[in-house]
Amino acid sequence: MSTVYSREGRSAEETGEASAPRRWQAWAAFPAVRKLSLAAASLLIGFCTWQVLSTYVFNPFLIPPPLDVFRTAIPMLASGEILSDVTISMVRVLVGFTTGSLAGVIMGVLLGRVRLLHDLLDPIMELLRYLSPTAMIPIAVIWFGIGEMSKYFLIFWGTFFIVLINTTAGVWRAPLTRQRAAACLGASRLQIFVLVIVPSAVPYIVTGMRVAMASSFMSIIPAEILAANSGIGYLLQQSSLLLQTNRIFVALLTICVLGFIVDRIFRLIVDKVLARYMSFVSQT
Amino acid sequence: MLRVTNIRKIYQSVRGSYVALDGVSLTIDDGEFVCLLGASGCGKSTLLNILAGFEPVSGGTATFGDAPITGPGRERVMFFQDSGSALLPWLSVEENIRFALRVRKIPKAEWAGITKRYLEMVGLDTHRNKFPAELSGGMRQRLQIARGLAVEPNVLLMDEPFAALDALTRRRMHKVLLDIWQRIGKTIVFVTHDIAEAISLADRIAVMSVGPRSVITKVIEIDLPRPRDLADAKVARLFGEIEDLLTPDLIRLDERLEAH
Repeated sequence: MSTVYSREGRSAEETGEASAPRRWQAWAAFPAVRKLSLAAASLLIGFCTWQVLSTYVFNPFLIPPPLDVFRTAIPMLASGEILSDVTISMVRVLVGFTTGSLAGVIMGVLLGRVRLLHDLLDPIMELLRYLSPTAMIPIAVIWFGIGEMSKYFLIFWGTFFIVLINTTAGVWRAPLTRQRAAACLGASRLQIFVLVIVPSAVPYIVTGMRVAMASSFMSIIPAEILAANSGIGYLLQQSSLLLQTNRIFVALLTICVLGFIVDRIFRLIVDKVLARYMSFVSQT
Repeated sequence: MLRVTNIRKIYQSVRGSYVALDGVSLTIDDGEFVCLLGASGCGKSTLLNILAGFEPVSGGTATFGDAPITGPGRERVMFFQDSGSALLPWLSVEENIRFALRVRKIPKAEWAGITKRYLEMVGLDTHRNKFPAELSGGMRQRLQIARGLAVEPNVLLMDEPFAALDALTRRRMHKVLLDIWQRIGKTIVFVTHDIAEAISLADRIAVMSVGPRSVITKVIEIDLPRPRDLADAKVARLFGEIEDLLTPDLIRLDERLEAH
């Protein structure tokens, strides 16, 4: 079998026939290059299709062609208008997300560890978590007004329950074997908790935080549409009132790009700081 | 000396109670290598968990030395089959050992020496910066052994530690374990369902019956020099004898499952 293989290889080299597939193989041999060029192609094809469809098929007022959108975006970027809206929205997300995650992790660890607390609070949590941040906007406005506090609260609300549930599950599922092994070696209950159970829950906590981050992005927009005078959501709402579809599309694209960048940054931080906690080697 | 006298273990659940062990007595001398042998579900791991102090007895007594066993103790270290979950996957090989030394409150000045000694003993000293996920199953199990030995317990409790390894690695691990045992002279209680494994390792084999109401049906002394060759006539006869002892149990287990 090996002789057949090598003979084929030699004949290809001699004739030079296989040079085109060879080049293809060389290109495909670098997965990063391949992935990146395919992603670029995907975006390019997408924008071209959009341009053609919105110019010739759909009403360009309802779906502005990408070139028009970019033309609108440039002065908005240059004047710092977008940047200031982005900054305002991002600070809101960051404050709500950070406090919500922190509270979620602390409560989650407690609920995962103290059975009585879990049994007492779980029914309430189970009911409250169906109240999405959007559902809480009206009451948040009454409680906190349309200032920053109501936005912090809404993002906090959305983040808290997701992180809480994941953290509890993670603490719950810390392998009994690992705890027992540590107990044998002489670890105290506190040491088992801090050095074994909490680190074992990290992958669950991180997953919860990623989902919560996505949800924060989802809920900041309606919050700003309904109750704010700044931020990306406010930009959307104002543009809608003035029928400026170009500006609406700029805002929508901004949300896409922002979400993507933030998720990448989040993953980068996880890879750099928490990588060692993210691997499992258990057989069970 | 480890001693269990007439112990019973009953598990309560919503579906009723299950008598796992019913009157098990066994005395294990210091420095002895004892295998608990039996089919799946014979309560051998339950017995080991009681010796480790993970589970309380429902009746009878379990003692280590003169003191009753009431919880996990530093002098008795358990080695689990699933080394992946027993180790801390976020710590490197060296850090896993240091974790044990830290919780055992061993002075920091001694850490380097102890770590080196035990990693060398199991042949992992060149892998000290790797993480458990980067090791093979056999290497992970050796790391678990090194970590347990580093805190210098008197008794090693091993719950089918090599059952998940391939046959070649398992044989190698037997050699490693026997070498270590002969060097450090600690007591080993080793749970297995593998007759050949029990014969190649143990001073004595305690054969257990299938539950419910498991008991030790027979204790067999093996007075043969190690390493033991399974092709040897005496060893082969012993193998046959134990197999005959376990077979009725297996048939009974099958029949009970079919009846359900």
